[in-house]
Amino acid sequence: MAAIQTRKLTKSYKDLTAVDQLDLTIEEGELFSLLGVNGAGKTTTVKMLSTLARPTSGEAEIFGYTLGRDDAKIRELVDISMQETAVARKLTVRENIELFARLSGQSKEEIDATAKTIYDDFGLGKVANKKAAELSGGWQRKLSIVLALVTKPKLLFLDEPTLGLDVIARRELWRVIEGLKGKMTVVLTTHYMEEAEALSDRIGVMRDGKLLFVGTKEELYAKTGKSDVENAFIEIVSGGERNA
Amino acid sequence: MRNSLSRIYALSKRNAKEIVRDPLSLIFMIGLPLFMEILFYFLFHKLTDQFQMKYLAPGIVVFSQAFLALFAGQLIALDRSTSLLTRLYVSPATSVEFLLSYALPILPLTLVQSVLFFVVGGIFDTGLFGWGMAFAILFGIFTSLFYIAMGILFGSVCNEKSVGGIASILIACQSLLSGMWFPIDGLGDGMLALMNALPFRNATQLVQNAALGSGDAWVDLFRPFLILLGYTLAAFVFAVLIFRRKMKQ
Repeated sequence: MAAIQTRKLTKSYKDLTAVDQLDLTIEEGELFSLLGVNGAGKTTTVKMLSTLARPTSGEAEIFGYTLGRDDAKIRELVDISMQETAVARKLTVRENIELFARLSGQSKEEIDATAKTIYDDFGLGKVANKKAAELSGGWQRKLSIVLALVTKPKLLFLDEPTLGLDVIARRELWRVIEGLKGKMTVVLTTHYMEEAEALSDRIGVMRDGKLLFVGTKEELYAKTGKSDVENAFIEIVSGGERNA
Repeated sequence: MRNSLSRIYALSKRNAKEIVRDPLSLIFMIGLPLFMEILFYFLFHKLTDQFQMKYLAPGIVVFSQAFLALFAGQLIALDRSTSLLTRLYVSPATSVEFLLSYALPILPLTLVQSVLFFVVGGIFDTGLFGWGMAFAILFGIFTSLFYIAMGILFGSVCNEKSVGGIASILIACQSLLSGMWFPIDGLGDGMLALMNALPFRNATQLVQNAALGSGDAWVDLFRPFLILLGYTLAAFVFAVLIFRRKMKQ
């Protein structure tokens, strides 16, 4: 079953078409990276697919549920880590985890187990009783990302997840994202090409709201004649040929 | 239903902690009104009936509730200005669950305010203790709903910076138009009619009359109750509509 299927999905503002007739299918369990320069439409796409923004036209289905009609059901299946840090600042790390876990319907025992896993995987145990506001920017960012995992969604959107993380934390997160492969569908937007290269099953390239390319890394290399994602991406974006 | 209650509980718990962990909110909601209750009693209770504890304590209860609007509004406006609320919108929680989670944690706070200010008032005027006080505390919870609704409305409409200014106007209205801080006998008919038509004096009268507990005063509960009920329902309807609209945006 497709986790995401869009047909001519479009988001327009007054004088701007942020996402233009997007046709995209992402299979369940896939790790899909959406690449594009600033303003390409990645975040708008993610916001529409996570029910945060209403499409202007077109259709989308998330695990068979229709976007706009079945949003309540979709919200039970998806979660998002946004570009901006989004934590409850006056709550402790543990309380933040509890809040999001409880919102996803987890029992007390499940919350304890989730917290333990999070502490082990991300080293957050040592700051569990610290208020989020007292953490450094990097730790707050880490907590913000982790909260999207707490809810154990079937479909996870990671919008620029490693932005603002140091190199160690970034590699740590890569390891976690790799561990998610097969367990949930992950849509990752990123500016870091090596991230997409290391993690993705397939890659999509956007520019000016349009999807210019969708395929595996190998298909991307074959299409552009390049041997790494960064140069292939530059070739696609500057060439602008549609190959979706 | 069970999931919905669990979500409301989780969000309410978070909102309660956000408010209580802000020392300023406790100072303004409890410390300042308590200080004013004691100060004004000592300064003026021999000069005018206005500051007899049987009038002052209920007045302070309602005055302190105006600060609820400030802090509820600030919490919502701050949540809206950060990505947290947007992030929470992706959860299965509905707009009604969000609104309840902002309103419910404030009710225990208003109960604490009412009990504290009445008990302190009772220390200076033991005549306050009795059924009248119990009813006044209950009516105090009712009057707080208006200020909570106004707080949700302010928080939904204003940004983090402007919500303080707007709520200050409400607090000023509560002070000036409730008739609790100065005698209103000398005011003109037009001003009195305005004060009787607005919610502030009605809220104060409702709690004062309940506290007095006499036959005439209890009959006088009906009119302010109905007027305040109207304002409260209108404020909640507007708050729900605007919050939902903002949520969809």
